[in-house]
Amino acid sequence: MARETLEVDALIVGGGPAGMSAALRLAQLQKAKGGEPLAIAVLEKAREAGAHMLSGAMLDPSALKELVPDFKERGAPLGSEVHHEHVYFLTRTGKIPFPITPPPLQNHGNYIISLSRFVKWMAGLVEAEGVDMFAGFPASEVLYDGDRVTGVRTRDQGIDKHGAKKSTFEPGVDIRAKVTILCDGVRGNLTKALVRRLALDAGRQPQLYAIGIKELWEVPKDRVKPGTVIHTLGYPLRMEEFGGAFLYAMADGLVSFGLVTGLDYRDPMFDPHQAFQHLKQHPAFSSILQGGQMVRYGAKALPEGGWHTIPRVYADGVLIAGDAGGFVNSMRLKGIHLAMRTGMLAADTAFEAIRAGDTSAARLRQYEERINASDVRRELYPVRNVHQSFSYGLLPGLMYSGLSLVTGGWWMKDPMPAHAGYERMAQLADYYGETRPDVDAPVRPAKIDRQLTFDKLTNVHYSGTRHPEDQPSHLIVHDTNICSTRCRAEYGNPCTRFCPANVYEMVDAGNGTKKLQINASNCVHCKTCDIMDPYQVIDWVPPEGGGGPQYEGM
Amino acid sequence: MILVVAEQREGKLNRASWEAIAAAQQPGGELKVAVTGSGVSDVAAELAAAEASEVIVVDALALADYTADGYVTALAVLIEQERPAQVFFAHTYQTRDFAPALAARLGRALITDVTAIRNEASGTVYVRPVFQGKLNADVTAAGPAPHLITIQIGAYRADAARRGASAAPIRNAGIAVDASAIRQKPEAPFKEAKQAVDLSQAERIVAVGRGIKGQEHLKLVEDLARAMGAEIAASRPICDAGWLPMDRQIGSSGQTVAPKLYVALGISGAIQHLVGMKGARTIVAINKDPEAPIFEIADFGITGDLFEVVPAMIAELNK
Repeated sequence: MARETLEVDALIVGGGPAGMSAALRLAQLQKAKGGEPLAIAVLEKAREAGAHMLSGAMLDPSALKELVPDFKERGAPLGSEVHHEHVYFLTRTGKIPFPITPPPLQNHGNYIISLSRFVKWMAGLVEAEGVDMFAGFPASEVLYDGDRVTGVRTRDQGIDKHGAKKSTFEPGVDIRAKVTILCDGVRGNLTKALVRRLALDAGRQPQLYAIGIKELWEVPKDRVKPGTVIHTLGYPLRMEEFGGAFLYAMADGLVSFGLVTGLDYRDPMFDPHQAFQHLKQHPAFSSILQGGQMVRYGAKALPEGGWHTIPRVYADGVLIAGDAGGFVNSMRLKGIHLAMRTGMLAADTAFEAIRAGDTSAARLRQYEERINASDVRRELYPVRNVHQSFSYGLLPGLMYSGLSLVTGGWWMKDPMPAHAGYERMAQLADYYGETRPDVDAPVRPAKIDRQLTFDKLTNVHYSGTRHPEDQPSHLIVHDTNICSTRCRAEYGNPCTRFCPANVYEMVDAGNGTKKLQINASNCVHCKTCDIMDPYQVIDWVPPEGGGGPQYEGM
Repeated sequence: MILVVAEQREGKLNRASWEAIAAAQQPGGELKVAVTGSGVSDVAAELAAAEASEVIVVDALALADYTADGYVTALAVLIEQERPAQVFFAHTYQTRDFAPALAARLGRALITDVTAIRNEASGTVYVRPVFQGKLNADVTAAGPAPHLITIQIGAYRADAARRGASAAPIRNAGIAVDASAIRQKPEAPFKEAKQAVDLSQAERIVAVGRGIKGQEHLKLVEDLARAMGAEIAASRPICDAGWLPMDRQIGSSGQTVAPKLYVALGISGAIQHLVGMKGARTIVAINKDPEAPIFEIADFGITGDLFEVVPAMIAELNK
């Protein structure tokens, strides 16, 4: 079967806040400047816009105000404005309030939103401008002409689990573009490949990631006032683990609740999902959730390394925006507005470059200059070493973060040295010494009652994730021998713990040994395995069109 | 008047049609049953056993093979003629294929996958699952009648459909269908596998999960199924490992079933499995773990080793 080709001027890969902002901005520029209309296309792997979107979410509306000044009239789903803020340090059973709300966590004027709804709303604006949106079409590879990016290829459809073509087989489509804007999100599969091939991360620090696990709850309405925001540090995480919890209260007793854990923890037996169960049992949160109902579940990695970890975000024919580039302020726990802002700046650059007939790296470099002159740098540069400082422990991290508010982020060694998160994971022998734990059982088990606490499989059901079973695994483990031999001995198969969706299981191989089983259809597309696997043998690639979670309301 | 559209394929009535009839009999008003196809008099005679005022046959050569265009065209004419208040369908794959188009053609409301019906002062309230069965929503139809309603498989019991004292009269509606108006050209039905099985039609099912430990033990399950006259099914890990074909998988990524009897062997009862079989009338669970969630929905539970319990069951059944 022949492969189809589609030619466009600007191609946006990934329909999240960055991609939608880029598309909308391009359409606006075209309207304002006139001339030959550009062909613009957006590719999105989810079956419908917004379905794979997961965030806390707190929106700083600064970029939105510029992109859609009449957003209120146009019905932006902004939820509750923030009214009450609390920051606590949790001990095992108690909570100690912070004397003041630290400035980066002051959220007055920001909105509690469902990112899924927000992006769906943006998709409506984009489509109303006549931009072609292709939902359910994951891009599987970047197309090159030499080192110049010429577009992307979408994934083949209709391959069975053994790799044979089914009667429904359709080859992927080549979409060729003058400029491709990659907005494929945290640890995006295309950005990952591009950065490697063109060494765009040369001279930058390794990205540091975190995993956010979130549940949406319906609780009795008198429990917590809409517009209340709670952030906590401490329990269930230990001094050596970076992270914290959040609870955002919306109208009608709807509560967004989650735990963010740095994917640079040392203890190979650490299980973020289990820590989340412990968190829910803490009186600070169980008092709010008890008697309520969990209605949705999800998990997603987030890039938290900050300024020094952002790769070169331009090359011949290509720009990178949003989480794919690492534009997140980990001190303010915010990235949506930066995704939107970089998407807009990428669109500005792409539009002029296409009109000028020059989309070379030399021309597209203007994108980086625009970022440097914008609020993006003004916001990210002063906090450039924050996440890195927490690798020295919670207290040094807090002290440095406090200091950075005064010093503008100065440190004796700048950038502060850092290692990729997976390199920090200790081997069992180094962490536990003589007393090797049973790697098939949790070290700190949480009681699962299926009311307040849930096992991973039950949670996965509430993510709404669906993948047709008869397709090749979209989680490619390049060497499964390592799993049963080296990894089992050295780290005790941490994939079975850091995956929040029960994708990885070690099952009996019969002869007293264990083998890896990949339950790919459970995957919620969080990318944690691709990031945290200590041997870096896992590649996350997009599954067949449309597969994945259904994060309506998240 | 409620019109139930029954479903047949190659002259064989779909059992779920009786469930739709049972649902339509519940309010107690007038009921008619329609069947479409070509040469379906046997099916019509079978349906005439129902307590209904009549059975209407829409018989046309162009309807010999199912096509969405053919069914939409024929049923739109029939509904215009009969002017029912509601039209009921079983929520089968075929219904899912053409009912939305029929509703659009008529410009009438369609409520799908209904599990219960209530008559309230304000009108008829239909209950349908949302969020993958997590919540039930009460839905009312907007706009003028007729409203199109599809009934979830297993929500009503086929054997609860009331039979009439005498056979209902059968009438041919005399609706002609222009073959040239049908855009689809059906090919011979595609068979996925040689022993393709429609578990949703099975009255008894023996389902097996991880507790079976190895493929070599499946014979035990087959023996039990044979002794019970049951179909074999499985939870996801078994089909994923290739021990049984995928069309035997029950649950959110497999089939949804509602047999009279469901025996779960070594299945812990993850919610993904439960959503596929919770409509079974009687659930028997055998599991080693007394905490297994399957016991929360089982009518009969045995905490024990299936390798001891199942041979005893087979021996008892074969007596």
